[in-house]
Amino acid sequence: MPRRQSPAHWAAVTIAVLSLVLAACGPQQGAAPAKPADTKPAAEATKPAAKPTEAAKPAADKPAAAPAADAKPTAAAAAAPAGPAPAAKVTGGGQATSKAPANKRDLTVVTAADVSKFDPHLSTSVNDITVSFQIFDNLTTRDPDLNLLPQVATEWKTTGERGWEFKLRPDVKFHNGDPLTSKDVKFSIERTYDPDAKTLVATIFNGIETIDTPDDTTVVFTTKQPDPLLPARLAFYGGQILPETYFKRVGPDEFNNKPVGSGVVKFVEWVKDDRLVLDANKEYWGGAPDFDRVTFKPIPEAAPRVAALLAGEADIITKLPSDQVQRVDQSDRARSEGAFYAGLYVLAVNSKAPPLDNPKIKQALSLAIDRDAIVKSLWRGQGIVPNGPVAKGDQIGYDANRPPLEFNLDKAKTLLQEGGYKNEPIYIESTQGQLQNDRQMSEAVVEMWNKAGINAQMEIIEASVRAQKNRDKQFKGLFWSDPTSTVQDPDGMMWRLLGPGGPQDYWREPEFDRLGAEARVSLDSALRDANYKKMTDIFLEHFPWLPIVQPIESYGVAKYLNWRPNPNQLFQLRKEVLTFNR
Amino acid sequence: MRQFLIRRLLRAIAALWGISTIVFVVMRLSGDPVPLMLPPDAPTSEIFRVRAELGLDQPLPVQYAVFLGNILRGEMGRSIHMRQPAMQIAAERLPATLELALGAFFLAVVIAVPAGLISAAKRNSLWDNLAMGLALIGQSAPTFYIGIMLILILGLELRLFPISGRGQGQWSNPADWPLMLQHIALPAVTLGAFAMASIARLTRSAVIDVMRQDFIRTARAKGLSDVVVLLQHNLKNAAIPIVTIMGLQFGTLLGGAVVTETVFSWPGIGRLAIQSIFNRDYPVVQSAVLLVAAFFVVVNFLVDLTYGWLDPRIRYG
Repeated sequence: MPRRQSPAHWAAVTIAVLSLVLAACGPQQGAAPAKPADTKPAAEATKPAAKPTEAAKPAADKPAAAPAADAKPTAAAAAAPAGPAPAAKVTGGGQATSKAPANKRDLTVVTAADVSKFDPHLSTSVNDITVSFQIFDNLTTRDPDLNLLPQVATEWKTTGERGWEFKLRPDVKFHNGDPLTSKDVKFSIERTYDPDAKTLVATIFNGIETIDTPDDTTVVFTTKQPDPLLPARLAFYGGQILPETYFKRVGPDEFNNKPVGSGVVKFVEWVKDDRLVLDANKEYWGGAPDFDRVTFKPIPEAAPRVAALLAGEADIITKLPSDQVQRVDQSDRARSEGAFYAGLYVLAVNSKAPPLDNPKIKQALSLAIDRDAIVKSLWRGQGIVPNGPVAKGDQIGYDANRPPLEFNLDKAKTLLQEGGYKNEPIYIESTQGQLQNDRQMSEAVVEMWNKAGINAQMEIIEASVRAQKNRDKQFKGLFWSDPTSTVQDPDGMMWRLLGPGGPQDYWREPEFDRLGAEARVSLDSALRDANYKKMTDIFLEHFPWLPIVQPIESYGVAKYLNWRPNPNQLFQLRKEVLTFNR
Repeated sequence: MRQFLIRRLLRAIAALWGISTIVFVVMRLSGDPVPLMLPPDAPTSEIFRVRAELGLDQPLPVQYAVFLGNILRGEMGRSIHMRQPAMQIAAERLPATLELALGAFFLAVVIAVPAGLISAAKRNSLWDNLAMGLALIGQSAPTFYIGIMLILILGLELRLFPISGRGQGQWSNPADWPLMLQHIALPAVTLGAFAMASIARLTRSAVIDVMRQDFIRTARAKGLSDVVVLLQHNLKNAAIPIVTIMGLQFGTLLGGAVVTETVFSWPGIGRLAIQSIFNRDYPVVQSAVLLVAAFFVVVNFLVDLTYGWLDPRIRYG
């Protein structure tokens, strides 16, 4: 016969088990999402950083590493978007507030995913370019304020309508000691569109007709059409410069295993999904970085990634979720840093599918979305409401005086009536987790539309299904897209995606097309700016996208680091951008 | 015995063929990897070029024939995403997963079998209720929850263990052992929690079942001590279900390492498989699944062999 247990016995067991469960739950309270009211309001996000950091200052006083005063683009190149951009919102100010541990010379960067390959022409993934921009140099680059700056080039100018001439620094060496010359530039850029090389960046520079190298420090590009954005294209993926001699000697596979560039760090070791070790390039032409070694570690889950930062195992973490920003800011060890995403999160519209072919219905859909509520509640204030199809930060075409997109339920209902809406279903084919908050935003938008009397429905689709539908242009209604401009210009975003034959070509308007085509090949900045503003007016009548939010991408940074991120994911570790507070 | 071995070997080959065929079909039904690889504005000609380069423009039966031919030659093709031999990538990751699974298995056996034995011997005591209460939590709490709680409490708050990664030491170097053990502790406990709970509960019930048998009463009547009866007579006779569940659990540990490896950034085959599924990297997924399946088959084969040793009445033939 089993013995009967006394109540005290059961109480002891219950208390023991409950205390274990409570102990386990305890720290999670600290991890509770930040209250929206405690974070800075969305409107405040538009303010520039209180104090520019060293990195943000014009680099004229730092000739060793960044462009010298004489290295600025010449007047002839004024068409290229090299002017100052509005300062990105920096939640942490970019400045260290505590001293680094004595003798700390190593840097640990924790990312959300590992690199997949090192050959910079074989990937456009953010995980890969985060690293390849450290190992390789480009002709041009951008600082955290998105100013276009010289990197290996010292200056550039247009030569005729279709020519661009770049002068190179004479003192740049690859990690194996080979000098970087104009021939390496020619080899690298030609390789991007060489069919035999089978690169994944074949379309970036295929507008180039010829590349000439009159001497070791001069490169002349001749384009098939006038290309005002060539210097900007050279700053991003596809533009990394490879050492021709080494590459040809070892071949593409070995190069991918042991990459050699001229960048600020040198490849040491990669253990897939565990660590990537890179040593500082002490002979870097721009001066050695402020660390001896940097280790990139992938931690895919957000909670352990944040824990690694707070426990001191990481100095910088990427993809800090918006609900963890306050927690990091309240910690003793770290702060958050943010930068406007150099693009928008939009609900792209299949404007061929009735009733979405009716501009009035699309206007009503836009008016029925309370974007401010989405920014405040789902993004914890980490974003702004867009005012059109051009991202804040783009140097041409952004109209700062245009008000944010309106929320007006009554007007929406009136427009639905005027547009003859007959309760047809309107679908959002939403991904889940492909973009931050995509499913949650879809649910919120569907709810808002239902309140306006719209028969909105959400369907969850998987990433590869979305990619397939995107390619086949088979979306039933609306779908998430995060258009970003790799060239900080509407040509690289609105026109690239919405233009004739583009991936989101579901709608055509002759005047929109004329203005876009004219701006694409014009070297006149004023004309381009005016064209894009007129295109924005047309856009806001037809809404081929419903822009929802321009989010702030957040990072966690140890308090002893001076560092702030680039809005366009051009991660930088040069000494102008990152220093320890010693 | 020989017939048994041949029969089991043929079954194992059939199982592996079946698994690889299912993976081949399912992966191809689930989407095209090429749009995920290229920029969104890549022209159609570029998509066709990459698809042809990867052999994805061929009809499914042709792709399947190539796939089977590759398996017979011991080649699984090249990774679409990483552009390296797929089997090599998967094989490089297997040791990390085996290390984690063995750690979890070791913890599970060392803790769960004694816990189950004591619970059975001291039925309905405070110890029994506490152990079985914990086992219930171990079985019902999701792995990612246990992992994140361990990270937050033991890693972040108490700073007793590192939060992620496998550590940079080598097991071949004894000086690295403290570091390696520190790194494996939390993932092994997380991964082993479910197995630990299952084994403890099963050990308890199996031992209690045997306890009611006549030969146990006889052993006690002979004057043998409780400990001797429990370990020599009771446990050995209760061992068959325990060993069976251990074998099954080891296979589950290999497959179940996906979540633990993701939470702890453990560079194992489970994490590789999940990433490769997201990237539609067919050759790597096939290689990873085949490797894990092969291990599962081998472990269960070994379990079958131990039955004869545990119970001499069992004969193979």
